[in-house]
Amino acid sequence: MDLVFSGLAQGFAVALQPFNLFLVLAGCFAGTLIGALPGIGPINGVAILLPIAYGLGFPPESALILLAGIYYGAEYGGRISSILLNVPGDAGAVMTTLDGNPMAKNGEAGRALSISAVASFIGGTFAVVLMSLFGPLLSSYAVTFSPSDYVALMVFAFASLASLVGKNPVKTLLGALIGLMLASIGIDANTGVMRFTFGVPDLLAGIDFLVIVIGLFGMAELIHLVEQQAAGTLKALKVDKTFISMKDLAFCKWTIIRSSIIGFFIGILPGTGASVASAVAYGSEKRISDTEGTFGTGDPRGLAAPEAANNAAAGGAMVPMLTLGIPGSGTTAILLGALLLFNVTPGPLMFTQRPEIAWGLIASMYVGNLALLIINLPLVGLFARMLTIPQQYLTPLIAVLAFIGVYSVVSNPHDLYMIIGLGVFGWFLRKLQFSLAPVILGFVLGGLFEDNLRRALSISGGDWSILFTSIDSVVLYILAAIVVILPVWFGIRRRRAVKGATT
Amino acid sequence: MADRIFASLLLLSAIIYSVIAFTLIKAPFQYDPLGPESWPRILGVLAVLCCAQVIYKPDVWDLKVDRNTWTRLAGLVVLLCAYAWLFQPAGFVIATFIFCAALSIMLGANIKASLIFAVTTGVLGYVIGTILLELNLPAGLLAFLE
Repeated sequence: MDLVFSGLAQGFAVALQPFNLFLVLAGCFAGTLIGALPGIGPINGVAILLPIAYGLGFPPESALILLAGIYYGAEYGGRISSILLNVPGDAGAVMTTLDGNPMAKNGEAGRALSISAVASFIGGTFAVVLMSLFGPLLSSYAVTFSPSDYVALMVFAFASLASLVGKNPVKTLLGALIGLMLASIGIDANTGVMRFTFGVPDLLAGIDFLVIVIGLFGMAELIHLVEQQAAGTLKALKVDKTFISMKDLAFCKWTIIRSSIIGFFIGILPGTGASVASAVAYGSEKRISDTEGTFGTGDPRGLAAPEAANNAAAGGAMVPMLTLGIPGSGTTAILLGALLLFNVTPGPLMFTQRPEIAWGLIASMYVGNLALLIINLPLVGLFARMLTIPQQYLTPLIAVLAFIGVYSVVSNPHDLYMIIGLGVFGWFLRKLQFSLAPVILGFVLGGLFEDNLRRALSISGGDWSILFTSIDSVVLYILAAIVVILPVWFGIRRRRAVKGATT
Repeated sequence: MADRIFASLLLLSAIIYSVIAFTLIKAPFQYDPLGPESWPRILGVLAVLCCAQVIYKPDVWDLKVDRNTWTRLAGLVVLLCAYAWLFQPAGFVIATFIFCAALSIMLGANIKASLIFAVTTGVLGYVIGTILLELNLPAGLLAFLE
């Protein structure tokens, strides 16, 4: 406990420095704006702004504080387009539209926005508090992990990814494999052997992380926006004067608490972020409290549940990233890549070796969540105006930002073609219902996975059984098996139940 | 059908990847039991299996993109390539002006408004980018102004 308090004190000393404080506020503000833009979610916002944040030459903790602010700020802002436009910014905000938009249609847009802001705040804060308690514990445990344990952890990460993300597990696995394969391009660090470079000098050091991120999440999103453009004009509902009351809060309080818990723990699972969390929270809340069948017609609880859950998941996803070096979601995979760009290796040692980054980030999230609540309640009208930015100007701007980002960091015109190519590839993946998060997760984890596997086998002299000897790794394999088998088992049971009901 | 075509292309790349991993990648000495070739071999084989599964059991048959949309997307990619091609030689301001004007007109903005938008983005972007944020952007043809 002492560790937590001294860590937090140190963290607040970093986060409350005027410059970092400014970055928290700027990040949250920019994040909310980006989240409010229809069709653009947290992952795209962080991806597009990452190279620019990197190019500014800030110290790593400041850059990370800024990027994290954009991340959970966008998680907050996403609800605005979901509620007023019925257009979710990303998969995590889909559930918010189910009850949020009907409320706005019933003339309670202001109430819907303020309820969701409060739910987001509670979910987010809950997650940060748990994170500051569990983070150091988990990391001090993970210090003892051997390379073979890491291999098991990675297997668990990909297993939960394949079984919980996307519709088709094979496609999710294939996406992760594409990421892992892309990561294997370049000179092998252990032996100096060139792999898949085809004699191209630009490929010797591998494909740049920024290029992959901007291509898959910036450019692919741009192509998607242009594709959707002709689909009819969007009409935003007006923000009115209705507001949250104490009665609403009392009505939703158990929903919010339950959903925050669900969100946080689903967020911790590697690979599964806000989208799974909000879907599970909405589903279970519907089962528990929807006794009168009001869910889906504008029930405040149906709005509060996914919002609390997705913000709690955003915090939860940071836990494995900071303590184990394994990201909990697509967006934290990008943040992890950002840390690597700064030559900071995330993992169990970060809390002791680079406490200013680990604790500074955690402390900044306390500040950020509070700031978001404060700027979101009165300024929601301003953010709502973002919805009316015409798409024909928004799309070129995204391209310009992406180009500035890539060029200013990599300074190689060939990479501009590379991001266009990756964008087209990413758009096809999306159209074919692959999710893109596994690709980036695979890319970020590729090197780590291979290194640990090779190190483990070096220790054992090539004997594969070392992978299954420690208790930690066996437990992780069992967890991986459970994560894969449970959904299948539930699926079979449900199918049987449906059959039983019809016959 | 769409799934099968795409997965076949992926399968082809995965096969090439595996062939390279199995034949070409070799370390002159054995440094560690796995060496540089085992990991790509594992990935390659798994990827081939996954692609085969998608081809065997596809779930997306149609991309549901109509002709007009395809034209618009092709136009977008052409404009992006032109932007990439112009970016360094013509400089940020000019390339951005041309790209923004062309794309916003293509997406249906009126000509006067998009010209104003394009000039603002080019000039403001350059000023904010280079002076305020100290990023590296190409001056290109306008280098003589500095």
